[in-house]
Amino acid sequence: MKHWWWKILAVVLVLAASITALKVPLKPALVHVSPDRIAPGPVTLEITGYNTAFKDGERVFLMNDGQYVCPSGVEVVNDHFLRARFEVPAGLKANLTDVYAGRVHMNGALFTEGLGKGIVAPQGCGPGPKFIDLFDFAFPNRNILYETIRNLNFHVPMWFTMMVLFGISVVASIRALGSNDLRHDMAADLSARTGLVFCTLGLITGSIWARATWGAWWTNDVKLNGAAVSALIYLAYLVLRGSVPEPGKRARLAAIYNVFAFVLLILFIWILPRLNAVDSLHPGNGGNPAFSNYDLDSTLRVVFYPAVLGWIGIGVWMYTLRLRLARLQHHLDDANHP
Amino acid sequence: MRTIRRAPAFLLGMLMTGATFAQGSAPGWLEEQLYHSGKINTVIAVVTVIIAGIGLWLFRMDRRIARMEARTKK
Repeated sequence: MKHWWWKILAVVLVLAASITALKVPLKPALVHVSPDRIAPGPVTLEITGYNTAFKDGERVFLMNDGQYVCPSGVEVVNDHFLRARFEVPAGLKANLTDVYAGRVHMNGALFTEGLGKGIVAPQGCGPGPKFIDLFDFAFPNRNILYETIRNLNFHVPMWFTMMVLFGISVVASIRALGSNDLRHDMAADLSARTGLVFCTLGLITGSIWARATWGAWWTNDVKLNGAAVSALIYLAYLVLRGSVPEPGKRARLAAIYNVFAFVLLILFIWILPRLNAVDSLHPGNGGNPAFSNYDLDSTLRVVFYPAVLGWIGIGVWMYTLRLRLARLQHHLDDANHP
Repeated sequence: MRTIRRAPAFLLGMLMTGATFAQGSAPGWLEEQLYHSGKINTVIAVVTVIIAGIGLWLFRMDRRIARMEARTKK
């Protein structure tokens, strides 16, 4: 039973992280303001929120370059929809006007016409006292992403697990080169195969996520193509290894190729997307460090890291299962053909 | 060996379906499904793919063990 602890831990971590990843609410946000431009004169804005709780007497106002415009009337239709009438004054300064409703706001929601040097008589509304929520455990509500931000806890751990499994594979390959022991070759082969399972899952889940946020199943993003090329390189590893009949030669050839494959993997996934010269849709790429405070807030981290650890545990477990089965098969072959 | 032969075809197929879907611009049925209620269905699809993938792996593992069992019985 003593070898079971990490398997149980992996399952518990994945379960806890997955349930939390699905249950934690998104922070309230404004998702739509219509119309999207204002000009001096009367206008009625239709404001749609997500996870908001609009109520009568909601504090609604516009902000343009630090100056406030107060509504002449606010009609709250339901928790997440309200109409606000404004008399837009002439002479607002900035091109874009922000919309505030209760605790949430949308920056640059309104394109502004009739610009000037600022309102002459500033209006007296503005933000109320800052509302502090003692238990505010919620995921960031980001434009375009919305609920799909939860995918971070499902899609990204696939890639971490793949990296660990390919790492195990390259270590086994180096040991195979050093010792000429065929058992290391077997380990390298099976961990690469298990890594490819997670690579495939990462590609498919990423493709679905890309469709919902970037608008296409596949884009020419540098990280996408890097991942696809890496997958092909590892498939070629399996093809190469399968094409050499003599076991000793097969082990050496496959091991040397695997070391090159791993170097290329690091290059395509960890280095190329981070270069300043390339632009990428993935966060943390195009010259930025991954997972800055902006990309990954503390609420997401609390769920993300256990998910990564748990999935790595599941991946390694799957690999050890295949390895044990292959060893059994090996013994069986030896017994049949002594 | 069969896996190795099938995998590149699968990957290629994936890439090609991606290329053809990407050309549509008018929001269709799928768009409606994905954008519905904060795009939560995207998360459901992703979780479904992962569970189905692990399930497929289990199924193939089962077949490997069954083949070995058949050999030991001989």
